[in-house]
Amino acid sequence: MRIGIPHSLSSALIRIAMMVGVLFAIVSAAQAQSVAEGQALFGSKCYSCHNIGSGDKQGPDLKGVTTRRTKDWLHEFINGPATANSKGDPVATQLFKKFSPTVMPDQALTPDQIDSILAMITDLTNKNQVYVPAGAKLSRAIVPVDVNGGWQFFTGRARLQNGGTACISCHSIKGVGMFGGGTLGPDLTGVNIKYRDPELISILQNPNFPTMSTVFGTHHLNDEEIVQLFALFQSARLANPMPPNQAGITTLDPRFFVIGVASMLLVLALLNLAWRNRLRGVREELVRRATQ
Amino acid sequence: MDVRLQIAMVFHLDKCIGCHTCSIACKNVWTDRKGAEYMWWNNVETKPGTGYPTAWEDQSKYKGGWETNGGEPQLKMGRRSLRVLNIFHNPDMPRMDDYYEPWTYKYEDLFNAPEGADQPTARPISMVTNKPIDIKAGPNWDDDLSGSPVYAANDPNLEALTPEQREELFDIERLVFFYLPRICNHCLNACCVAACPSGAIYKRGEDGIVLINQERCRGWRMCVTACPYKKTFYNWSTGKSEKCILCFPRLETGQAPACFHSCVGRIRYLGGLLYDADRIVEAMSVPDDQLVDAQREMILDPFDPEVRAAALRNGIDERTLEACERSPVYKYVKEWKLALPLHAEFRTLPMLFYVPPLLPVMAKTDAGVYDSSNEELFSPIEKARLPMEYLARLFSAGNIDPVRLALKKQYAIRLFKRMETVGDMDPLVVKQALAEVGCSEAEAEQIYRLTSLPTVDDRYVIPPMHREEAMQMLNDDVLADKGEAGFGFREAPVRGA
Repeated sequence: MRIGIPHSLSSALIRIAMMVGVLFAIVSAAQAQSVAEGQALFGSKCYSCHNIGSGDKQGPDLKGVTTRRTKDWLHEFINGPATANSKGDPVATQLFKKFSPTVMPDQALTPDQIDSILAMITDLTNKNQVYVPAGAKLSRAIVPVDVNGGWQFFTGRARLQNGGTACISCHSIKGVGMFGGGTLGPDLTGVNIKYRDPELISILQNPNFPTMSTVFGTHHLNDEEIVQLFALFQSARLANPMPPNQAGITTLDPRFFVIGVASMLLVLALLNLAWRNRLRGVREELVRRATQ
Repeated sequence: MDVRLQIAMVFHLDKCIGCHTCSIACKNVWTDRKGAEYMWWNNVETKPGTGYPTAWEDQSKYKGGWETNGGEPQLKMGRRSLRVLNIFHNPDMPRMDDYYEPWTYKYEDLFNAPEGADQPTARPISMVTNKPIDIKAGPNWDDDLSGSPVYAANDPNLEALTPEQREELFDIERLVFFYLPRICNHCLNACCVAACPSGAIYKRGEDGIVLINQERCRGWRMCVTACPYKKTFYNWSTGKSEKCILCFPRLETGQAPACFHSCVGRIRYLGGLLYDADRIVEAMSVPDDQLVDAQREMILDPFDPEVRAAALRNGIDERTLEACERSPVYKYVKEWKLALPLHAEFRTLPMLFYVPPLLPVMAKTDAGVYDSSNEELFSPIEKARLPMEYLARLFSAGNIDPVRLALKKQYAIRLFKRMETVGDMDPLVVKQALAEVGCSEAEAEQIYRLTSLPTVDDRYVIPPMHREEAMQMLNDDVLADKGEAGFGFREAPVRGA
């Protein structure tokens, strides 16, 4: 008679093994789902400013962040970056100093959503992969005439379909004209050098900068507009291989200054003409005439 | 007939000694403040001279007063539409240099200067910039400077004289001058009121004092241009304009204004006048030579029962009418015709009248000896060193008759009193002199008394102000102003208030 595991015991073990297997399958499936959700959330909420594995942008690269910081700290910081800063958290203070003047806006994310993003970051870090947004692709290939279309959208001559504000309201770009565009946002001449193609496309799809998110939050650009604007930024890069890439610095056409001074002199001359008969003092004139 | 009350004034120039006490009294009470240092609500000018601000009488430059080209009187500074166009840049204003840059001295240097080879001096510093300045002019820079080729020679009133007369005036042995104290005239048709875009300037209904509401003034400075007497001033510290208030807080308590009160020559008289407000436009629209008479015409007789009835209907109190009956101003202006308005041709109907000066006795030096002898005791006014045309230009819009009458009357009274007190005059000559100006002996005596021997009560007949009634007219709540007095500022007078 062989010594074996009693049947009842073996069947129990099998059951346990099966249960563990099922549990594991459930957990890993949930984890995979969580990573997928994190991918999507990261693309729409974070990617404008953060990379995973390809360097700092407006904000720091988040590769390995889940090992550098505790989970609680991350939750607290993501919910309220400004609060973390004002509370005097040394890490937060240092980060804000490094990426000044950009301030990370408070995020309206549920704890579950934050968890899924963190899970995705852990996953990528473990696999040593770089985050590539799935949707950051142009809907079609660029053709040369798109640059012209991009200009139309940029300057506001053509309306953006969803009612977004024309780029020129806040941004300038080389070639937009002598007086430049808006100066609220950065000059976009070198935007395609600052951001790689998928990054720029993602920003066009989902501009998550504090100011732009409020302006374009409900007025997304459509695919065709993204293609044409992207074509414009690409052509700007090609035309100006060494543009200034500092945020907020707009190069002024020197003619702008000349025209300003000339107009001021003209206005002063006109005022002088309009009031040419004004009283220019009485006593000095008397004394001058009498003592000549 | 729309009878109104005006607190009016007479300055007797024959008595003014040019001591500037009035100016100092006013400065100490009202304009010893930041932004007001350059203001002299009361100033005393030497005539012939250009005055303060320099050549203020020259309206071709300053554009003050009314003009009647083609009938309707309108401000010389331009139509309303033009003024609106100039609202942010009023082109016709005196510069600070035309007044003068106010200064003080750095007295502390006399004590604090480090030891050195030289005596320390107190340098003049500007009261506007607080930096050392080179003093070029002052508010009475041409004081006593008759014959000055800069100031006296540029007196705008000399235009009335022939070249020979002008030459004589500047002849070294014939130099002559007199003093002209000036305050706000509290005009019946004030240009400053008409020009104000903010409606901040008003003429008090109860006594005719012209005031600037410091809360409504927006500092457009149209009044500075409009006033031909240049008696509204811009305070650069508060950003608002100011002017003489005829010391109304003093008047309301029965005291004479500070400049009147302090006058050592007792040249100033103050009292109520009744006038017909319906005739203002008519009186200011007549040709130049009739202006003095027209202005006298609209001043009403407080003894006339009809006038009194109309005054009572207008809310003027019986006791105020009694004060008007005793008013020295009414006597000088209307009864005796001795007092004349300054520059009636500005057509603002000024309520400050001047008795023109009987100039200093005729005198000359003969071979180094001062010779005042004359065939007659007093040299006749026709031979006065200051031509009558000059006085007429100042006091009667160029019409010599009112000035001649005023001078001859004063002259006749001198003869009359000489006859009475010394007795070396021919009574016939005196009688003839009095008859010539239509003056009875009783009137001559009265004029003499009010001119030479007046008491304070004779000089200042201040009508009771009845502030309680005035406040009741303005306020429904009669208790709202109980216990209040003075300016009534609710906030400090600072710029932007």
